[in-house]
Amino acid sequence: MDWTGLIEIVGRELFGVIAGLIGVLAFVVLNALFLTWLERKIAGHMQRRIGPKEVGPFGLIQPLADTLKLLGKELLTPHDVSRPLYFLAPTLIFIPVLVSFVVIPFDRQLLVKDINVGILVILAFSSLSVLSILLAGWGSNNKYALIGAIRSVAQNIAYEIPLLLSLLPIIMMANSFSLKTIVAAQEGLWYVALQPVAFLLFFIAAVAETNRTPFDLPEAESELVAGFHTEYTGMRFALFFLAEYTNIVIVCAIATSFFLGGYQGPLLPGWLWFLGKTYFLVFVIIWFRWTFPRVRFDQLLNFAWKIMIPVAFINIIVTGGLLKL
Amino acid sequence: MSNPIDKLSAIALPGLIETDYQTRGYHYCLEATADNILPVVQTFDDEGFYLEDLTCVDREKQLELVYFFFHYDRHKRFKVVVALDPAQPSVPSVSGIYSSAYFLEREVCEFFGVFFAGHKNLTYLFLHDAIDYYPLRKDYPLRKERVAVSAAEKARLNSFAVTESDDSFFVNMGPQHPSTHGVLRIIIKMDGEYILEAEPVLGYLHRMHEKMGENRTYQQFLPNTGRMDYLGAISFNLGYVTAVEKMLGIAPPPRAEHIRIITTELNRIASHLLWVGAYLADLGALTPFLFVFDDREQILDILEAVTGSRLTYCYFRFGGMPDDVDETFAEKTKRFIDRMHNERFSMYEKLITGNPIFISRTKNVGVVTRESARKHGVTGPVLRSCGLPFDMRRVEPYSLYERFNFDIPVGGGNGALDMYRIRIREMEMSLRIIEQALAAMPAGPVMAEKVPKKIKPPAGDIYHTVESPRGELGVYIVSDETDRPYRMHWRVPSYFNLMTFPESARGILLADAVAVLGSLDLVIPEIDR
Repeated sequence: MDWTGLIEIVGRELFGVIAGLIGVLAFVVLNALFLTWLERKIAGHMQRRIGPKEVGPFGLIQPLADTLKLLGKELLTPHDVSRPLYFLAPTLIFIPVLVSFVVIPFDRQLLVKDINVGILVILAFSSLSVLSILLAGWGSNNKYALIGAIRSVAQNIAYEIPLLLSLLPIIMMANSFSLKTIVAAQEGLWYVALQPVAFLLFFIAAVAETNRTPFDLPEAESELVAGFHTEYTGMRFALFFLAEYTNIVIVCAIATSFFLGGYQGPLLPGWLWFLGKTYFLVFVIIWFRWTFPRVRFDQLLNFAWKIMIPVAFINIIVTGGLLKL
Repeated sequence: MSNPIDKLSAIALPGLIETDYQTRGYHYCLEATADNILPVVQTFDDEGFYLEDLTCVDREKQLELVYFFFHYDRHKRFKVVVALDPAQPSVPSVSGIYSSAYFLEREVCEFFGVFFAGHKNLTYLFLHDAIDYYPLRKDYPLRKERVAVSAAEKARLNSFAVTESDDSFFVNMGPQHPSTHGVLRIIIKMDGEYILEAEPVLGYLHRMHEKMGENRTYQQFLPNTGRMDYLGAISFNLGYVTAVEKMLGIAPPPRAEHIRIITTELNRIASHLLWVGAYLADLGALTPFLFVFDDREQILDILEAVTGSRLTYCYFRFGGMPDDVDETFAEKTKRFIDRMHNERFSMYEKLITGNPIFISRTKNVGVVTRESARKHGVTGPVLRSCGLPFDMRRVEPYSLYERFNFDIPVGGGNGALDMYRIRIREMEMSLRIIEQALAAMPAGPVMAEKVPKKIKPPAGDIYHTVESPRGELGVYIVSDETDRPYRMHWRVPSYFNLMTFPESARGILLADAVAVLGSLDLVIPEIDR
């Protein structure tokens, strides 16, 4: 066996992934900053305010100033916390988020690594984030945080199922788990036209997975103060925040890739189409937050188990039947 | 009506005395003793009265325990007096009959040192445990030496202990919590997400307005009224001013009355608007909060122009108004009415009322039954949600309310959802009253003639009620013909509404508890006084 050749191949591969990860990291952070700005701006206009406007043009630099402020904050560690878990949680929440971006195709060629089970990688890793929420809630030695964490676990488990089930028909139609193949298969017609029910199911489950209103129970501030991150300050808090916004982008990117044709679109470059569609979905999620009240815990779970999962199953069966015909 | 009178006269001698309702504010007075108070109170309970108020007056030679009973339908007020020996004041507790006495007796206990035998938790309600004097007794005047209470007596008073069983845990909701709207603290015993028991802890904002009232002249107390309920300050102004006017026997000129009604109703709308916003924020929808603030801002601007302040108003004077309003006041108010009718109500309808999540969160949540309401002395929109059109503006018309045409919106027992609908409808009704008042506003003076410089009401007491945005506001004033009240007591509506919470919170989810607590429209400075 030619060792130099192998090392060269591994080296190239490794270099590619590392370079990609650095790119992803830059995108994730910039994107989260932009999203906080976007959320505040949209919220402002929906509430007859103008939102941030002082720092930079249209207040664009405001998130940067906020980050600097958070960096300068003292990292308080409350009494009697379970130290390893308390410190681990904010770091751990960030890793699955980073990994998920590796397999998302931003453009025809702009993709860190095409894995033939791409969507499974994303779903597997995003399930990990619930672990860090549980660690945060358990480690904080705070009852509100613990209740928030427990809610989060129940909610994420309940909504992970319809999330996956709603994607299955697409996987069946495209005959692949790879996001690249799935996007490529939507050359002519987007899957949202063929699978509107699946899209709806996925989007609702995605909102619940990212803990956004009307499903923001783990951090319901009127009940649980701030939920699982009640006891976190400074940059540790910021990491939770960053992960939340990045999660929103991930689910919207998946929705774009699976249902809205990903980078496909006329005239404009592919990555612009991709980002445009993704941010449109992000806007819809932000729109939800500033319109809806919060559902109750039992209503939330009932909705997942009694409505969404049965509908998703029916959808799979119908799709399977039609594909066979 | 003859039935309770005969019964009561048989139990407590010398029987019922009919009093002058016009000057006293109550129809009958009855003298009872510590021995026969239980059967007397039981008779009122059997007859369907609610315990409107329970307070105490220190007459130096004796302590006078004063109970007020009122009826939701019959509209007759009874005063029951129990004279106690100040050296050893002890009386059987009526908290077993009326749940509302649970708080009221604790309050009397800490302020006057009256021991209520049989009360299950006779700890301090407002005051700090370490306070070892009875602040509302007359032998505790301001800036003088305290009268110490013996340690043995204090130990007897503090008999309540919290016990934690295996599966449950305690959560302190408040005093710093986003949805207690102020510094209310509730100790919640929970099993998972379900609430087993809830116990409100009050007093974080206690300022002792009642003692202040005894040490200020009638005029000097005026600004205090606006500082109890900071959202319905003008209603409190009105309650106090009309009570004193009734004692003095002076009537403000009609123009002043019209201005009073317009500003009071504007204030009521502002209060309800804020509730809508805050309640939706409790349920997780943050945008309506900003929308209602936009509307509320219009009201605050109108009121600021005439009263000079934006929140803690001190607007009315005994005998009328300090100043007349100008043309722009009427103009701006009309513009506000048009704005609400033309765009705002329909917008709230679209944004909130029809929202399925909102309906599913509030429907049949925090239902207060009529019986539970009576036992707790509940009034206001919370009471009206169980279908009872009980509004002090109609029941005991004060100012000129009997001249105006308005409905009393009631609910169908759907709990918080009905309370929301009622408050929205009440805003419309308030606008209707304002419209009529603006149209009918006569010209003329705004201050009655012959208002004495020094207010010295004739000796005696008065119980006067008005409808604040949260319910029945009662003012009890005892005068001894000086320029300061001998005793002043406030019956504040949120205090009674809050008392239903432990009962309605039992066995519900934490999320529902927030919805229930919000629906009661609590204003903590009003509860703590």
